[in-house]
Amino acid sequence: MNYVIALILGSFFGFALNKAGLTKYNKIVNQFRFTDMAVLKFMMTALVVAMIGLYGMRGLGLVTFPTVPATYIVGNLAGGLIFGVGMALTGY
Amino acid sequence: MKTILKYIGKEIWSPYVAGILLGLVGIVAVWVSNSLLGASGAFENLAGLIGKAVAPAAFDNMYFNFIMPPGITWGVILLVGVFFGGLIGAATSKTLKWGKKDSANSDAQWKRIFGPQTWKRWVLGFFGAILLEYAAGIAGGCTSGLAISGGMLLVPAAFLFIAGMFGSGILTALIIYRKQY
Repeated sequence: MNYVIALILGSFFGFALNKAGLTKYNKIVNQFRFTDMAVLKFMMTALVVAMIGLYGMRGLGLVTFPTVPATYIVGNLAGGLIFGVGMALTGY
Repeated sequence: MKTILKYIGKEIWSPYVAGILLGLVGIVAVWVSNSLLGASGAFENLAGLIGKAVAPAAFDNMYFNFIMPPGITWGVILLVGVFFGGLIGAATSKTLKWGKKDSANSDAQWKRIFGPQTWKRWVLGFFGAILLEYAAGIAGGCTSGLAISGGMLLVPAAFLFIAGMFGSGILTALIIYRKQY
């Protein structure tokens, strides 16, 4: 059952990414050139919607948060730095 | 209703609308499955599964035993869904091209910068993807798994990762594009 949910959620996820144009090389790399802000708009909208929704629902006692990604400053930052290079090269 | 259908058929949506959709998907994922959306972890689960079968000794380490246990996880199924979701998205906007020439390398901007050869794109994609997956392994997630899913739970790691990603991304774009930046 959980797998069916994953499949449905995944397809909405992929659909949203495709419709935002994030499956295109030029969208990603033009974000880093600041000629097309779609990536940032998309990410930040998703973040804001989900933040409000999740924290509101937790306040009402509807959800418990899963294990959050661990914070280790050097690792997160170094990973991000390498990731950015790959992102600008491939347009992932 | 007709306007909604017409909007679905558009190739590029407003990023705000698509962002709201992704935000809702993120909420449902936590609410119903108590999981976070992530892509890079699933590749590691699969790699672990293959690795354990082919070379068990090389994969018998901390990382693949405890941090990223191999198997068909929730994330792997999610990734299958992402594939079909992207397929549906392309089909509705009629940009789906099955096996047409140049469909693997149809980005005009990419061709202008790197040249028209398709093999170049495959090579760059391959090595760039190694960088991406390796970096995601270090940081503990990728754009979706750490930056978006972690960000919506206000995890500090997510914002460190976004800062690093943009810092080096801008620098790389500067180097590639030089005067055209």
